[in-house]
Amino acid sequence: MTAPARSNRNVLRRVVGFLGEYPLIVAGLLLFFVFAAIQPHFITGSNVVNILIQASVLLIAGTGATFIVMTGGIDLSVGALMFLGAAILSSTLFGVLPPLVALLLVPIVTMIFGSLNGLAVAYAGVPAMIVTLASLQVFRGIGGHVTEQRSFIIPDGLRVAGEGNWLGIPAPIVIAAIVVILGAYVLRRTRLGRFVQAVGSSRSAAANAGLPVGWVLVAVYAIGGLLAGVAMVVQLGRLGAVQPTLDSGFELTVITAVVLGGTSLDGGRGGVIGTALGALILTIVENGLVLTGASPYIFDIVRGVVLLAALLTSGAPRRLLSWIKRDREEVLDTPLNGPSLH
Amino acid sequence: MKLRSTLGIAIGTLAIVGMLAGCSTATTSKPVGASEKDKLTIGVSFDLLNDIRNAELDAIKAAAKAKGDTIDFVSADQDAQKQASQIQDLIQSKSVDAVIVIAVNSDQIASSVALAKAKSVPFIAIDRAIADAGNVTFQITGDPIADGGLAAKEALAASGDRTIIQLVGALTDQNAVGRRDGFTKEIEAGGGTVAAQVPTDWDLTKALDGTANALQANPAINTIFIPSDYLLPSVESALKAAGRLAPVGDPKHVFLVTIDGDPNGCKAIEAKLLDSDVVTPIGQFGVQAIDAAHVAHSGKKPSPATAAVPGFVINQANQASESSKTWGCAS
Repeated sequence: MTAPARSNRNVLRRVVGFLGEYPLIVAGLLLFFVFAAIQPHFITGSNVVNILIQASVLLIAGTGATFIVMTGGIDLSVGALMFLGAAILSSTLFGVLPPLVALLLVPIVTMIFGSLNGLAVAYAGVPAMIVTLASLQVFRGIGGHVTEQRSFIIPDGLRVAGEGNWLGIPAPIVIAAIVVILGAYVLRRTRLGRFVQAVGSSRSAAANAGLPVGWVLVAVYAIGGLLAGVAMVVQLGRLGAVQPTLDSGFELTVITAVVLGGTSLDGGRGGVIGTALGALILTIVENGLVLTGASPYIFDIVRGVVLLAALLTSGAPRRLLSWIKRDREEVLDTPLNGPSLH
Repeated sequence: MKLRSTLGIAIGTLAIVGMLAGCSTATTSKPVGASEKDKLTIGVSFDLLNDIRNAELDAIKAAAKAKGDTIDFVSADQDAQKQASQIQDLIQSKSVDAVIVIAVNSDQIASSVALAKAKSVPFIAIDRAIADAGNVTFQITGDPIADGGLAAKEALAASGDRTIIQLVGALTDQNAVGRRDGFTKEIEAGGGTVAAQVPTDWDLTKALDGTANALQANPAINTIFIPSDYLLPSVESALKAAGRLAPVGDPKHVFLVTIDGDPNGCKAIEAKLLDSDVVTPIGQFGVQAIDAAHVAHSGKKPSPATAAVPGFVINQANQASESSKTWGCAS
């Protein structure tokens, strides 16, 4: 094989390796071009900004959920926790605080509620699904009592995270980008991230190795709670109102984004960047369907088909990568004077 | 181990407290006036609680109080199975004299209707029509098709060509579908153009994002039909983000028409952000439902057995005269 041909193969291998790590990029690009072909407005810069703003809440909440799912856990209470945070923010108790203080306090409150989930999972031995199913009821119940199941309009001072512009960039995009980058960094480059992967891969092995399994679990649910609060602050800023059914069922969308992004429900494998791609794909689908004027009746069908297609497409680069590896091994195994395969 | 069991007990207790908190609230109206035999205990089961449901409950309570009845209220949190169990409890365990129901699902409520009939308990449906209407003692609802049509007439009455975004509620909700169909039919007859339909599932975020997307794709939009005041804050936020939220009379103003007449709608009319609102006469639901319970309890059949009450319009021109009749303006 000549040097340029070898170089080309290396580039190809790197590209395919990258796509193998983040296969949803292929699915996302396919979707993007399909929608752009149907509706020219789809590809405009303002619509791309639109998509990023609309994905921001899911990006933030999904980052928190990724930590939890990476440990083999699940959080069914994230939507209810966001509603509870919104209810607290709209309550008269928080109404007397300066807006910035109130906005910073609410994620701390939701972090405390999230860490209660973690304590129950880590130290009471109750499965995460049961704990968070119960806390879903508790959080929505408390939120319902705080709001008396009525709607509230949010004052402009509390909408800065949803409506503001920082350095010319919409605040939801800035906040989501910071959260995703920080989340990816913590999960990949820090001791906590390595502990999370170890606990997710095998909780008993992690415990035998002397890792603080209990505290890792509490930490991931606390992170999930904190980011649910941040997501709520952004969402409320965008919506401008609290309603009794706010974020009902949102947990399924969050889990879909996480799983679509390649994080294993068994734990130990996945990451924040994958979740971010999953969240973007879900948002692109919603955006594209409205822009192309699709009938409301086919929205669910298209969502389901796109999800399935994205999952299938995401497997393709991995298969290609393994084919190239196998091919390479065959080349290395071939005697130097033997026939070239290419 | 001790910590583990203590935490387990704490979680169990918390879960029970939460479920109690999240499931239902039982309330009663103190009986006044009427003679003892005329006083009824009426079970009221709603699909959920929000602004309009609270107003409907208040109307029922007021009508019940006037007759000296006691109200036993439960909310199903949009869970059809939970609603069936709650109605079973009201009829069999609490032995109520009648039930007033807003069904989570007009088909799935059939077993509750059959149970009430078997136990000779009057079953009164309000707000959302029941599929098995033949076995319902009395039913009073709005007229979603007429309300959608009224909203369309308001939009068509505005000057100039109308290019419209039409928001749609949950496609499994007959009120949402009726409002959509009534609006579409009238708009097509009047020569308007629906440039985009936005499905919302009655979800605020979907309404916000969908409206933003539709505005993006159709810059010529000058009218938005919102099938419930519930979604109005989302539409206002989308318009604000697009730089198109302006009061009536401003050249940038987008004509907004909604249905319900809730406090959001009333405030938006006053603030000159909302052009028209088709008001659902929910006060009549409460009065007629309680009347029907008494008629049925006395052994007679309410006549007519079904009533569909169309809404009325409050807009920028008539708000001075109509706001006193609008339930959202009173609260």
